[in-house]
Amino acid sequence: MSKEKLESEHFNTIDDSPIKLAEGKKEESASQNESISILIGGAAGAGIMSLENVLTDAFKRCGYFVFSTKEYMSRVRGGSNTTLLRISNVPICAPCWQVDIFIALDAEALEHVQERLGPTTIVLADESIKDETLTMTAMPMLEAVREVGNVRYANAYVAGVLFAMFSLDKQKLSKSIEILFQEQSPEENETAMQEGFSYGTSLRSVEMPKHLSSLVHDPKKMHLLNGSSAAGFGFLLGGCNMITSYPMSPSTGVLNFMASMSNEFEIVVEQSEDEIASLNMVLGGWYSGARAMTSTSGGGFALMTEAISLSGVSETPAVVYLAQRPGPATGLPTRTEQGDLNLAIHSGHGYFGRIVLAPGDLQECIDYAYLAVELADRYQMPVIYMSDQYLADSIAMMSDLDFSKYEQRRYLQKTEASYNRYSLKDGAISPRGVPGFGEGLIVSSSHEHDERGQSTESYHTREQMQKKRQEKIERSIEEAFAPKVIGQGDIAIIGWGSTEAVIEEVLKVLNDARLFQVHFSWVHPLNPEHLNVLKEAKTIIVIENNTIGDFADILKVHDVNIDHRILQSNGFAFFTDLLEVKLSKILKEIR
Amino acid sequence: MKHPLDRANINNAWCPGCGNFGILKLIEEVLTELELDAKNIVIVAGIGQSSKTPYYIDTNMFSGLHGRALPVATAIKVSNPSLTVIAEGGDGDMYGEGGNHFMHTIRRNPDIVHIVHNNMVYGLTQGQASPTSQKGFKTPVQVRGVESEPFNPISVALALRAGFVARVNIGNYEHAKIVLKEAFLHKGYALVDIFQPCVVFNKVNTYRWFKDNTYELESTYKNNNLASAMEKALEVEPMPIGILYKSLSSTFEDHQRGENKKPLFEMKHDLKKLQTLFDQY
Repeated sequence: MSKEKLESEHFNTIDDSPIKLAEGKKEESASQNESISILIGGAAGAGIMSLENVLTDAFKRCGYFVFSTKEYMSRVRGGSNTTLLRISNVPICAPCWQVDIFIALDAEALEHVQERLGPTTIVLADESIKDETLTMTAMPMLEAVREVGNVRYANAYVAGVLFAMFSLDKQKLSKSIEILFQEQSPEENETAMQEGFSYGTSLRSVEMPKHLSSLVHDPKKMHLLNGSSAAGFGFLLGGCNMITSYPMSPSTGVLNFMASMSNEFEIVVEQSEDEIASLNMVLGGWYSGARAMTSTSGGGFALMTEAISLSGVSETPAVVYLAQRPGPATGLPTRTEQGDLNLAIHSGHGYFGRIVLAPGDLQECIDYAYLAVELADRYQMPVIYMSDQYLADSIAMMSDLDFSKYEQRRYLQKTEASYNRYSLKDGAISPRGVPGFGEGLIVSSSHEHDERGQSTESYHTREQMQKKRQEKIERSIEEAFAPKVIGQGDIAIIGWGSTEAVIEEVLKVLNDARLFQVHFSWVHPLNPEHLNVLKEAKTIIVIENNTIGDFADILKVHDVNIDHRILQSNGFAFFTDLLEVKLSKILKEIR
Repeated sequence: MKHPLDRANINNAWCPGCGNFGILKLIEEVLTELELDAKNIVIVAGIGQSSKTPYYIDTNMFSGLHGRALPVATAIKVSNPSLTVIAEGGDGDMYGEGGNHFMHTIRRNPDIVHIVHNNMVYGLTQGQASPTSQKGFKTPVQVRGVESEPFNPISVALALRAGFVARVNIGNYEHAKIVLKEAFLHKGYALVDIFQPCVVFNKVNTYRWFKDNTYELESTYKNNNLASAMEKALEVEPMPIGILYKSLSSTFEDHQRGENKKPLFEMKHDLKKLQTLFDQY
């Protein structure tokens, strides 16, 4: 765009009404009875991730809805990791604890997952693995793949076995192998898959726990991706053109995604020396007209908090993608938790506004990433987008999306010579200019400052500026998004962020007319009017993946009476079947 | 004594006789003589007495956090390469709190001028040792005198192959001006470490001391040799002033932006292309 063209561009102001999101298509979700779950266990480096990619892709090609999630140790090789796949004829988006099929790639895997095997679980393992306590189906896997040339091909072999057991179209699996193994011996993997398939055919007599009914959707119209990639698409949709980050699990997926996209779009991607530099670069970027973000997890975010405060006082927009993992300190680096809500809400010293968003599903991963950039620009304040390891790494499916429906706004002003960065004449949100666009000077300050941006210790000015920042918060509360309310009843089941789908599935299974779901994806600041729906409920149950119920405590501050909390902080996401048991127990008491 | 670049209606907070006054004048005169447009200049500062400078010069300013001017300046420059960007702060700010950014900004080589006011003491917090304080320097905290080795920014910058490494003494004003001008003309990261006295909290390293303990590099000195620059950098009593080393290499903006040096605020992503990429998932 030329400068002249830019000058004739329409720029947005705070007077434009806030962005509204299009209602996403919500399809029926599956109960566990309509799905098959497959757990695969093996050491890090053994290629479970490639197997996950191949199987999700191939099941999608066959017309199924697929969900997959992994739990892994903080090591690059060895240990014992698992990937869970759920396949269904209706949308599915949450993990289960007990599985229908378990495939052990090594003996350690058997030990690692023992508790997840039920009486009906079919256990498949190589014939060399012995365990008297279990009924196992022994596969000649290692012998077969050694013949093909390498034990690495065991993954393709297993995929073949599964496809044969389900009597699925082998061609579709071949296609997935061809695409996903194109740089890793595609022919050998294809041969291993064929070997697995012909062995698997002999297993069709093994009684399958369930059968998937006929297909109900066109897989071409569905998209298969993980929470990191969905967030990345959303940030790009919000016009993000700079990311400066220090790598940290589980946030790195977004950094990798944006880096890969920098070949296609004008995006500055820089790996900073530390998280302090990351967020300071983000502020420099916005100050000079970029739409900048950083990605991190709790420990890195803790280092950023002084710069969050700088974003607040200097009214420089900032976007932080915060993918949570369990703390304190290093905690469980590769596992999941919703433990950093208070850190996000209270980060930074001094009084200023910020917005905290926590998407619940893939559609929201995109929408709220888009919104994060938009809202940072609109209110000139930090926006923290909270994901977690579970949401970031899980692969699921979502409906088609039309990107042209997302309005591309920019809240900028071509400045005049008399421009004052913190002008009070148009209300609390002063139009933002950037250096080199117009006649004005952009004077941004970390000190308490006057309208020009000059540092001041005048108590009158201080009070005016605190009021200005307070009014920005009030504006963001006024325009906050309401929680999603699903169903009607008098027992409210409340969640926030990544637990949306698991709660939804459990409520579906329980099929109890008394229950309704209230899910928060805009978690801070809350608009009290949006909580009225809770005040009408007779019983309120909050479900959170943290130790004491941080969000429940926030609701209490807003005079919402919390009757029960279902909490966990063991490093796992909630599992549908286990959550169902916990919730049923409480519901029995309410009866 | 008013300069056209002086910001109007300000209340200067420095002590009478402070070395910062000289540096303020130096920067204003160099910017004016180079005929740079104030609207296209951004001064990024940290926190400290020296970091008050951009509040007194009528250009764009981002006054940020202690130690953090360099990452902000780097991002401003890459987002809009047509701007002239200065990162300014003191020895404690740039070499202490911001030491990590100092190293990594040199490695990135953004086209910015890095001005460090080096008075070998903490002024704003009233008299503690700075990373460049000399051994034995007594303060209310370092009561037995400084025991740590002083930080040598020049040799550190050279070890990281910074493209422009200079030191000046504000007491030698005309010499300082020639060097600072060169720093602005250099394409890439340029370090100008400026000796300056703190007349209140450092009674050792005075105008007189800096005069007696520095010498201008000989006119025959060749500043294109890293090894001889390093040798010079390690000299003490007296310390050389001038441009110790100069060499050109591609900048952070070259790597990040390639041929396209348009400000990022003039650009938008092609959503059709984004849609196509999404549809492949």
